[in-house]
Amino acid sequence: MSNDEIFAAAYREHYWAVSRYVARRLDGRAGEVEEVVAEVFTVAWRRRADLPESPLPWLYGVARNCLANAVRGHGRRRRLVHRLGNDETAHGRQIVDSPDAEAPGAWVHEALARLSEADQEVLRLTAWEELGIDEVAVALGCGSRAASMRLHRARRRLRAEIDRLRPALTTGPTATKEHGHG
Amino acid sequence: MADELELLRRADPVPAHGPHYGDGPLDHNAERRLAALLNERPAVRRRPRLVWSLAAGTAAVVTVLTLLLSGPGTTPAVAAPRPLTIRADATPVSLTELAERAARQAATQAQGAPKLRKGTHVQSWSMGMSDDKPPVTLPEERVVRWKADGSHTELVVATDPRHPGRPVLRDDGGAPHLVEDGHVLTRHSYPPSWSDAPPESTPPHDAARLRAYLQEAAYTRTPLTTPELLDTIDELLDHWTLGARESAALARILANTAGLRPVGRVTDRLGRSGAAYEYRSAGTRRLLIMSPSTGQVLGLETVFTKADPQYGVKAGDVMDYSAWMR
Repeated sequence: MSNDEIFAAAYREHYWAVSRYVARRLDGRAGEVEEVVAEVFTVAWRRRADLPESPLPWLYGVARNCLANAVRGHGRRRRLVHRLGNDETAHGRQIVDSPDAEAPGAWVHEALARLSEADQEVLRLTAWEELGIDEVAVALGCGSRAASMRLHRARRRLRAEIDRLRPALTTGPTATKEHGHG
Repeated sequence: MADELELLRRADPVPAHGPHYGDGPLDHNAERRLAALLNERPAVRRRPRLVWSLAAGTAAVVTVLTLLLSGPGTTPAVAAPRPLTIRADATPVSLTELAERAARQAATQAQGAPKLRKGTHVQSWSMGMSDDKPPVTLPEERVVRWKADGSHTELVVATDPRHPGRPVLRDDGGAPHLVEDGHVLTRHSYPPSWSDAPPESTPPHDAARLRAYLQEAAYTRTPLTTPELLDTIDELLDHWTLGARESAALARILANTAGLRPVGRVTDRLGRSGAAYEYRSAGTRRLLIMSPSTGQVLGLETVFTKADPQYGVKAGDVMDYSAWMR
């Protein structure tokens, strides 16, 4: 297959996964999501000669840069920062219910939001994009060992924030000691 | 209690099996964008792509009106504009020579030489294409000025300096229509903002660092290819008005870029004399226009070299053209 055909196949296969990646980080706003996803694939098209055999983690890496750029870019900047930072209601509407709390998504998101952006991203890539550690490394542009260490530390910090927010749950009968403060 | 990753998984705001963005066939927009990319037609720009399709001379308004009255589905009524005319030069200026001139200019005129300034002043023509309407060319002038406190203003007007005083075509909302020359399309003031990422951050005036800056602006970790470099220069000049030192660094980068061929002299659409450098790729020809004395980039033109009947595009149509001013 030519580079163009490989690109077209990757586009068809991963368009929606990339859309979800972007939507998760833009609170699912359709207008903005489509625009950023279009930019992701435009960048990917220019770099189609670099497209790896498993392109999805690489596409997530491109998307991460496009999102950062969208947030930095003048014009959209204030709007996006505002949305990224303040739109609690959008979270609440879309979160899947969990059996062990009344509105679990909200406080898990709150715990996540207390972490650094780097910690948040490694956790989101693992939990939401369901990437393995080697794929996380590709998306973050670092080595596997570094990715593994980042994930380990980010998990500990997330756990600590969860414990801080939900002490009642973590001291309950199902709380697990080994996941305690890190 | 479930472990932290499991809790996070359950809080996925956009699950794969949710109501939005679930896996499946592409929707219409996604298909259209893929087709545009495969046809080498950039579908995403930070600013509207302007296109050149007004016929020259007095026929312009008549043809535009024909387009408006006849609607889609008929032969494109707005003729594609002609690409710049290249005058063959017995001894065209090589980019290496131009880079040396630019470096001398920056060194000898240190006091009075043009200075780097955030913001841009650009006249552009972009072709708007769709799969069910003829292409149209939209001329506009954009001025972005930054102030000392980090705030900036952006003014965009519809105008075509080749036809002063004549009505100008717009395509807002999907329907081509005429507006008066100088019609304000947008006027915005932005509060102070700051970014450390190219192309918002200050471009360096050293060739190696400028090259790295442009690479970062293009979101790539590999050295830029020639078409990527041209795209990124376009992006850079839409954000910054380069000073003599930055222009010299850019000319040095271009002198070391493969595939750019000196083809002669042109008079650009603002009436300025320029040296032209051509880059050909599948389906398009890019023409970089530079000041022969200072090495400053004056303009960039992209012309289709292959027809695409699906979009009503003919070989020789100008896809877009930007002319940068101080």
